[in-house]
Amino acid sequence: MSKVNHHPGSAMLVDFSAGNLETAPSICVSAHLHFCAKCRNELLRLDQVGSKLMSEAEPIEVGEHLLDSVMAKIDQLPERDANIVPSTSKMSDVRYPHLVNKLINGSQSSPTWRRMSSSVDVAQFATGQKKYEVALHKICSGGKTPRHGHGGREFTVVLKGSFSDEQAVYNEGDFLQREAGDVHQPIGAQNGDCICLSALAAPIKLSNPFGFLMKPWLRINPM
Amino acid sequence: MLDTTIDIVNQKEEQAKKTAMFSTEKRSDQWSTLLVSVAETRDRRAFTQLFNHYAPLLKSFAQASRHEGWFPGLSEDLVQEVMIKVWQKSASYNPEKASATTWIYTVARNCRIDMLRRKSNTQHLPLESEDFWHEADADTPVSLMGQKRSEDKVQASLAKLPKEQDEILRKVYLEGKSHAEASSELGLPLGTVKSRVRLALQKMQILVAPDFRDDLL
Repeated sequence: MSKVNHHPGSAMLVDFSAGNLETAPSICVSAHLHFCAKCRNELLRLDQVGSKLMSEAEPIEVGEHLLDSVMAKIDQLPERDANIVPSTSKMSDVRYPHLVNKLINGSQSSPTWRRMSSSVDVAQFATGQKKYEVALHKICSGGKTPRHGHGGREFTVVLKGSFSDEQAVYNEGDFLQREAGDVHQPIGAQNGDCICLSALAAPIKLSNPFGFLMKPWLRINPM
Repeated sequence: MLDTTIDIVNQKEEQAKKTAMFSTEKRSDQWSTLLVSVAETRDRRAFTQLFNHYAPLLKSFAQASRHEGWFPGLSEDLVQEVMIKVWQKSASYNPEKASATTWIYTVARNCRIDMLRRKSNTQHLPLESEDFWHEADADTPVSLMGQKRSEDKVQASLAKLPKEQDEILRKVYLEGKSHAEASSELGLPLGTVKSRVRLALQKMQILVAPDFRDDLL
């Protein structure tokens, strides 16, 4: 596994550890953690903060029948619950983070690739929220995406392969955050297709004068 | 020759000391032992002891929540849901990675997220909170001593934090406010909130390599 060089900010990781990060950015942080031992270790230590704060709080007595009620429910449980998601889609990959495969295979309507431009395909996920469009993007080997800006924040995690823009090369596991107004032109690496997970908050603005032709495909459309 | 023998003896003693240090570092707090019993032998007496200790702490955690849509009446529902998960998921508890309290905190955090999501979402989400913190993804090779030392450090330094740093950590972890929400509630710039949190984390030595992130102010 290649070295991960781009990480979520520490404030984001704290919000994730505290359970306060919104669903779509959480999906991207979780996908990054799959690839990044450094951030996983930091998360373990951040969880200790929540744990200490919880354990030092003033205990509040619970109702006298609560234990009986829990015991009664335990009696009705199946012994072990297996959290196995059948792999039904060619889009999934054993090397992907668990939750990406679950989004691919566990959705009510299976995501499918749609052509977005000559070099980019997109497959949207249903994530039960409307603030962000969560999707996979496939940049074909050596493919150039249109130069575009963002009307809102975008998070991206590279799941497979690599791409580059004006600033850097991004490999598997790298986490990128783009702010409203940032403009870039990702280019897929020559040695294979690049698959990215992204969460996009608002419509993309194309900076190419002919970009309006792309607009219908790039409009945010959370499922 | 004699020197070499002495050297070997010294090395062996040093090694023995290290081994002894390692074994005393082994996680042996009573809650972690009880949780392992629940996992291995489905020990209901151990589970009852865990319940008696953690249920009042979990209720307190639940009542501290200031999430939109949360109300105190949900507190015992959360305690119940967490304790059932503790029973169900105890096999995935790894005492080498975290104390029972830290593991139970993560279960409580996840149950709170799921309860809030169930309340607010009308649309289908094919994920549960535990998918976000998936065990198989988290098989980090952690140093047992490192984690134990880190827990002790967190505990000791948490008590010594300046009031303004402690206040924000409580808002974030207990009340469930994001950095942005804490900033508007306290009337402080977002940058100030972030830097107070980061200072606290640096004191607790949680950010061991703070320079590898891009967001340092």
